[in-house]
Amino acid sequence: MMGLDGGRRLFEQESSRARNIGGTLARFAGYFRRTWVGVVVALVLIVIQVWTQVVSPDYIGQAVDCYLFPQPASVCWFDSSVSAAMQNGTMDAITTEMKVGGLGRIAVLLLGLYLFGSVLAGLAFYSMSSSGQRVLRQMRNELFTQLQRLSLSFYSENEVGNLMSRITSDTETIAQTFGFALLQVISGLLLMIWLMVKMFTANVPYSLISLAVVPVMFIATVWISGQARRAFRRSRRQMGSVNAELQESIAGAREVQAFNREEETIEEFRRVNQANRAANVQAAAFTAALNPVLEALGYVALGVVVIVGGLSILGDQPVLGITGITLGTVFTFVQYVQRFNQPITQIAVLWTNIQSAIAGGERIFGLLDEAIEIQDKPNARTMPQIVGRVEFANVEAGYKADEPVLRGVGFVAEPGQTVAIVGPTGAGKTTIINLIPRFYDVSGGAVRIDGQDVRDVTMESLRQQIGIVLQDTFLFSDTVLNNIRYGKMDASDAEVIAAAKLVNADAFIERLPEGYNTVLGERGAGLSQGQRQLISIARVVLKDPRILILDEATSSIDTRTERLIQGAFERILPGRTAFVIAHRLSTIRNADVVMMLKDGQIIERGTHRSLIEQRGAYYDLYMSQYRHEEEPESAPQ
Amino acid sequence: MGRAIRYLGRQKNTNIPAYLALIVATLAQLAVPQLIQNMINSITQGFTANTILGLPQLAQPLAAGAAGYTVNQLQDIQANAASWLINATILVIVFAIARGLFSFIQSYMAESTSQGVAFDFRNEIFEKIQRLSFSYYDKNQTGQLMIRATDDVERLRLFIAQGLVLTAQAFLLLIATLIILLLTNWQLTLVVLPILPIALVIFMIFGRISQPLFVSVQMRLSALNTVLQENMAGTRVVRAFARESFERRRFEEKSADVLSQQLKVARTFSFLFPVIFLIAQVGQAALLYFGGGQITNGTLTLGDYQSFSLYVIYVFFPLGQLGFIISLLAQASASADRIFEILDAKSDITEKPGAPALPALTGTVEFKDVTFRYFSSGEPVLRDVSFKAEPGTTVALLGGTGSGKTTIINLIPRFYDASEGSILIDGQDVRDVTIDSLRSQIGIVLQETNLFSGSIRDNIAFGRPDATDDEVFAAAKAAEAHEFIVKFPEGYNTPVGERGTTLSGGQKQRIAIARALLLNPRLLILDDSTSSVDLLTEYKIQKALDKLMHGRTSFVIAQRISTVLNADMILVLDKGQIVATGKHTDLMEQSPIYAEIYNSQLVGDVTITSEMQAIIAEENKS
Repeated sequence: MMGLDGGRRLFEQESSRARNIGGTLARFAGYFRRTWVGVVVALVLIVIQVWTQVVSPDYIGQAVDCYLFPQPASVCWFDSSVSAAMQNGTMDAITTEMKVGGLGRIAVLLLGLYLFGSVLAGLAFYSMSSSGQRVLRQMRNELFTQLQRLSLSFYSENEVGNLMSRITSDTETIAQTFGFALLQVISGLLLMIWLMVKMFTANVPYSLISLAVVPVMFIATVWISGQARRAFRRSRRQMGSVNAELQESIAGAREVQAFNREEETIEEFRRVNQANRAANVQAAAFTAALNPVLEALGYVALGVVVIVGGLSILGDQPVLGITGITLGTVFTFVQYVQRFNQPITQIAVLWTNIQSAIAGGERIFGLLDEAIEIQDKPNARTMPQIVGRVEFANVEAGYKADEPVLRGVGFVAEPGQTVAIVGPTGAGKTTIINLIPRFYDVSGGAVRIDGQDVRDVTMESLRQQIGIVLQDTFLFSDTVLNNIRYGKMDASDAEVIAAAKLVNADAFIERLPEGYNTVLGERGAGLSQGQRQLISIARVVLKDPRILILDEATSSIDTRTERLIQGAFERILPGRTAFVIAHRLSTIRNADVVMMLKDGQIIERGTHRSLIEQRGAYYDLYMSQYRHEEEPESAPQ
Repeated sequence: MGRAIRYLGRQKNTNIPAYLALIVATLAQLAVPQLIQNMINSITQGFTANTILGLPQLAQPLAAGAAGYTVNQLQDIQANAASWLINATILVIVFAIARGLFSFIQSYMAESTSQGVAFDFRNEIFEKIQRLSFSYYDKNQTGQLMIRATDDVERLRLFIAQGLVLTAQAFLLLIATLIILLLTNWQLTLVVLPILPIALVIFMIFGRISQPLFVSVQMRLSALNTVLQENMAGTRVVRAFARESFERRRFEEKSADVLSQQLKVARTFSFLFPVIFLIAQVGQAALLYFGGGQITNGTLTLGDYQSFSLYVIYVFFPLGQLGFIISLLAQASASADRIFEILDAKSDITEKPGAPALPALTGTVEFKDVTFRYFSSGEPVLRDVSFKAEPGTTVALLGGTGSGKTTIINLIPRFYDASEGSILIDGQDVRDVTIDSLRSQIGIVLQETNLFSGSIRDNIAFGRPDATDDEVFAAAKAAEAHEFIVKFPEGYNTPVGERGTTLSGGQKQRIAIARALLLNPRLLILDDSTSSVDLLTEYKIQKALDKLMHGRTSFVIAQRISTVLNADMILVLDKGQIVATGKHTDLMEQSPIYAEIYNSQLVGDVTITSEMQAIIAEENKS
């Protein structure tokens, strides 16, 4: 019924390689439809920027061929007068003034090109990252909406902590990719291809020889970075152990001291820390190798360019069949080859990032595609004002298809009645209360409120009219005032305070450092469980629901708070239909109906008195606890 | 910061090679442009020779003279140009490989050094934290300490090992390059020089601007994540109140905040990028213009020009590095301060030199006029507390929050030291004996139980790792824990703690009781409040606690009525003073404070039983 194993498996695997790259990319593309202008602008700008990088070596070559080292065989297209002098064989006509003036022009032109190129790069970066960030915002918002719609069983199967770290790290890698990785890889690839084209049009054999080292560089980079990644994965795991060890021993430092375990604990930490260090040093070997290897290979490539070019200029016959090389060609090629180093490194490093972004995207899309099990029917009506008759008709429900938690549960609670649900752990008490506000759906039978099947009305209108106080009260890290106001967003401060007073929470709230404006810590840290529960009762009072669901606290709350909570319940119960998972005898005695659950079935029902007289399971449950008590005390009232 | 740098001293084995390799690699790097220059010069000279020798015989001497050569020299050059070129190229490649090798050694050794430094820091922090007194934990949260041992150490590691090596490299490269530049061509050097300080300033500004931007992105992201986290953890509440759309708006707001900050980052960077690129290229363009002038004048060769332009890159590169490192420096020294704050923290509790071990205890505990303050100048938390507990008795401590109950139990195992007065166990002042011998004879069960990674068995044997299986089982049985432990598929070997099975609060508590039982201490300290457990478990915990206390001197922070009723002595505390002492019946009559606390703070034992009894009695009557 609510099998979501697929969802969990999705997040347990640590692989960062996408399974369906095409599909994921297509979906990413879909997101970019709305910001396509930005992407296109970025791409156009990048193409122009790469062009500036590609043409600049030409001008440096021209500086050599026209002015620095003019020779009759050179091709000088930059300066027509120099070119004419070369063709006419009147080299003397090239004056020093011409040379200096020409060099000045080339220098200014190059500077202009660099400036232009870097401005374009900046704009492309801005354009791309603003589209990317907008897409990311849209994905985040969609993801959030989806997380709200997924059923509660999804949350019981996927630990929130895991989901959290998955989602944050996935969106982070995607943000990096959209931010700069993608653009750099594109511009790097573009630059390399363009340079190659230029080299080949200039001189095919010379280009082939000049580029001979590039594949080696590529293979070396891919291998080294692959090894480094693997080593880093190991080191991350080790770092996890170090953190776990730290966390545990710092949190438990008092116990370590109480049990004289300092030495052993320190020894253990040293061991884990040592393993972490070893893993990191190993990973360092690879990262340390990457740059030197590429640099050395870069010089090898340079050496090849110079030696082949030089020999063919110096020699009478062409070297390796290369002809038509001028000194300028050699210089230009030297520039070209030097420009290959950077993009290769960048692509190798960022490629991984892009790969994990695709994998992260796939996981996020997987979440977005997770089937929503509980949703409003297309023709769902608004639940009218609830009177309060709750009916379970032969209800069957469970979290896994083959293991029903409730079997054939049927009962009717009349408006205004209080129903106490008792039974051992795992009997199905919580499942019953989860079905009323439709946190889960039944797999058989029906849950009806005022005769309406809960599946036929909108969830919002249903849940608006049901108040729930859970045992483990969740409070937001916000002020006390806003936490109570959660029950009715438009409530005035006075209303909130009135609700707090009604449930006896006012007194302790006033004693908080800033009263109602005290900001509560994470999950309401700083308050006792009883106090948190009082706040959550106030929240429900403000909501004024027709149906109340209460999960009584099992833990020992000091008697004063306990009495406050009891008093609060007594004040809000009348006139509402209430379901209480009861742990206190007083609650059970006051209930109109007591239902005893066992193994997913109602085995006894009646009033407390009638069930005691029945001497059945209910009677046994409490008598067993009574008999255990060795020293019965009189009631301390 | 200087003190942090001294930690490098312990990493001599890797640190010295790192710096030696750095010097070799940098020198090789500096040699490379010179070698490339040789390579290019051999081409241009050969080319010149070819050109001139290609002229008619008569014109040759004149042309040669114009180029600064004799014909013989040119012939020599022409004959050898190819082999010179080959030699020069081989030399370049050999040097490049040597440089690669040494720069690998440099960064590998630097990384090893940095890992070694981090290793030492973490160990020291950890050790320090383990040994600090409880008052330190009172003031510092676990999360804060965690951050110091992880993030701060990481930041310092990066700076000390990597940052320093890079700084050394940058300076070496910068100074050596400038010297070479000045020696080879001071006129050209003067052209480039003014750009350097401007570049450094711009790089520093870049670091200064970008850091806070990233910090602010991080802050907004974490605000966004908080909403996400709360909505997932509190999803039931959100749904129960049908607040989905409200929460969605909240999230979308935060998500828009992140977007706007990211766009700001993008805007800033799209402006800064060109500036930085430009700075790096201005030097090259200036070089082309002025150097080109020199070439046409004949005062500079093409090869010289080429090597000069490479050296200029070598000047800008370290500048960028320095700018980056300077922006890291501030962070790293803040991290260092935080780390040393821990390492310098003084533990309040120290053993006297030559303190004897505490002999096996009988169990008398006496407080003599004990006054305690958390801070030497602060309000006392305990004032003139005196009492004596006889061996085997149970002392219940009662009082409101802040009355001093916890302080009393913390003073017995010497987690804190009394500010005034003394605590005697079997007549011995606790400050006169070794801490180990004292604590190993005291069993402690705290309200919040921490278990450690390892098996359940390991956790029970926490205080006595050498205990036999039988002893562990016996302790678990006495603590009512055996039953649930054997129900786990792996029984006593079930892993628990951070990465193991999650135990319920009640289960943890019973393991903590077993842990204390296994020590078989004469003296017992416990907090009898139970955390969130069902009634049956609560009942079992009570039974286990009763067994634990039997026959030992016990100090109990009492939450439960039965504890108070069974106690041999009740200490009623108020604002750090004992306001009443005695047994339950006496106190009920004599002490109004006791009666008030009794009625308002204590929890009935297994809540329903007393009511149950009344009902049964009622039923029996009818």
